[in-house]
This record gives sequence, C-alpha cells and structure tokens, in this order.
Amino acid sequence: MFIITCPFCGEREQSEFKAGGEAHIVRPKQPTELSDDEWAEYLFMRKNIKGIQFERWNHTHGCRKWFNMVRDTSNDEIKAIYKMGEKPPIE
Amino acid sequence: MLNYNQALPKDTLIQDLQMKEIKPIMKLIIRGKKREFISAIGKSLNILLPTEANTSTQSDKLTAVWLSPDEWMIYSNEPVDENTNNYDTEEILNNNISKLNLGAVTDVTDQFVMINLKGNKIFELFQTGSPFNFNDFQNKKGAVTQTILHKIDIIVHNQDKNMVNLFVRRSFSQHLFSWMNDAASRL
Repeated sequence: MFIITCPFCGEREQSEFKAGGEAHIVRPKQPTELSDDEWAEYLFMRKNIKGIQFERWNHTHGCRKWFNMVRDTSNDEIKAIYKMGEKPPIE
Repeated sequence: MLNYNQALPKDTLIQDLQMKEIKPIMKLIIRGKKREFISAIGKSLNILLPTEANTSTQSDKLTAVWLSPDEWMIYSNEPVDENTNNYDTEEILNNNISKLNLGAVTDVTDQFVMINLKGNKIFELFQTGSPFNFNDFQNKKGAVTQTILHKIDIIVHNQDKNMVNLFVRRSFSQHLFSWMNDAASRL
C-alpha cells in the first residue's frame, strides 16, 4: 500500500489505481516491414527491472486518466509523476 | 425505458445519520476539451463549470461537479417530473454542444442513484470503508471526490455542513446501502 499523487486529483491511495505496464514504448512506424521477431519484441517483451522503472498508471477509481510514473521497483519509492505526452523529468 | 422505481429499500435513520434516496434527479455527464465548450455550457445553463480539481459550482437549479479535466456531471438541485425523461437542460445542451461538435452529453439519470446523507457521523461512516482522506474534504463546502466505498465506485459531493450527496451506480446501490446501514449501526 502506498500513496500516489494523481497529476489531476492529488494524493490518493494505491487501491484507486491500476498499473498499465511499461511506459514510452513506441509503436513501429511501418509494422509490415518488421520481422516476426521484431514485432514480438515490440508487442510482448517488457523490461522487468529491479530499480528505476518507467510505468504507465491509470486512476481507475477516480478521474480515469492515464499518467506516467517513475518508480523504484525494489522499494516502491515514487521518483516522479508526469502527464502523458510529457518528457520524463528523470533520465 | 425509464427506471423510476425506488432503488433502495427505505430511508433510514441510524445513530443520528439519515440516509435516503432522492429521486428522480436529472444527471448528465458532459465531456469536452475545447475552450468554446466551457463557454457554451456557461452561456446555455448560466453556470460556470468548475475547472479546479475536486470542486463544484452551483446555480439556482443545477449543480456541476468536476470529475476529470474534461468531464463533469451536472445534476438538478430538485427532483424532476416523474412522468417524462425529456429534460430541458439536456435538450439545450444537445442543441448547443452535441450538434455543434463541441463535446458530448450523456444522460445518466437512471444510471446513478443519489443518496442524501445528513448527520454529524457521515465521514466517520466513510472512513470505515474508503481509502480516501476526508480530513480536509469534510471542511470544504462544495468539495467533490470520486473514490471507493466498500470497494464500490462512488462520487461524493460535500453539499453543506453535515450534508453530503453520494452517487453510486444503480446496480451497486442496494448492496452499498445495505453495507452503509450495517456500518452505521456500528459507529
């Protein structure tokens, strides 16, 4: 259990949110030109980092908006939260 | 088809906490992002949409509550006519918003049930089943939040001191009301 600051609603408890997987995965511009392996890499393969991870989250039981979060997966410390389309404040 | 049947079994008064369904209350969800959308709503209904998060605005007949940066709920302050589901407000918005492609208007009158709570133990009741921090909320008249109560999605509007309007989806309303009665009896 931890507190997440929704960029729209403010501080809320984690149970109001749903994690939406890794952030900043860019869809290939020409999917038809990709090999099966490259397509599978884009579609299925996700990093599973122990440490700083960039994630998408959705405030499911609140404003229902998506946003990005930088989270340390080893201790659930939230490093940064920023809106969709914004650049990550941490490299 | 209209569903104006009483969703909840009966009004209750437990430990100075009064809970009752108010019906039929007109409820509309409006969505839009453009600046023209907000000004068109203001001109059409004579009400300013709240742009600050978790707040509401009120006119003589209507209340507008903030749900998300591009979504609001408008509900009537008084029960509307039971014999029709045509609302002037909806018609005005359909003409001034939907038909001009400024945004979307959805009638959710039958989808949501409004429960009015009165008493000084409202937030004690909420605190038994909600992860939301009501400390600041309860002192702020007009504050609004969407959160969970007993794992059910709700919208809470702090209308006045010791008076709160709670909106819950009709299919969950009976279960939530039953839980609220049980929880209130243990306060």
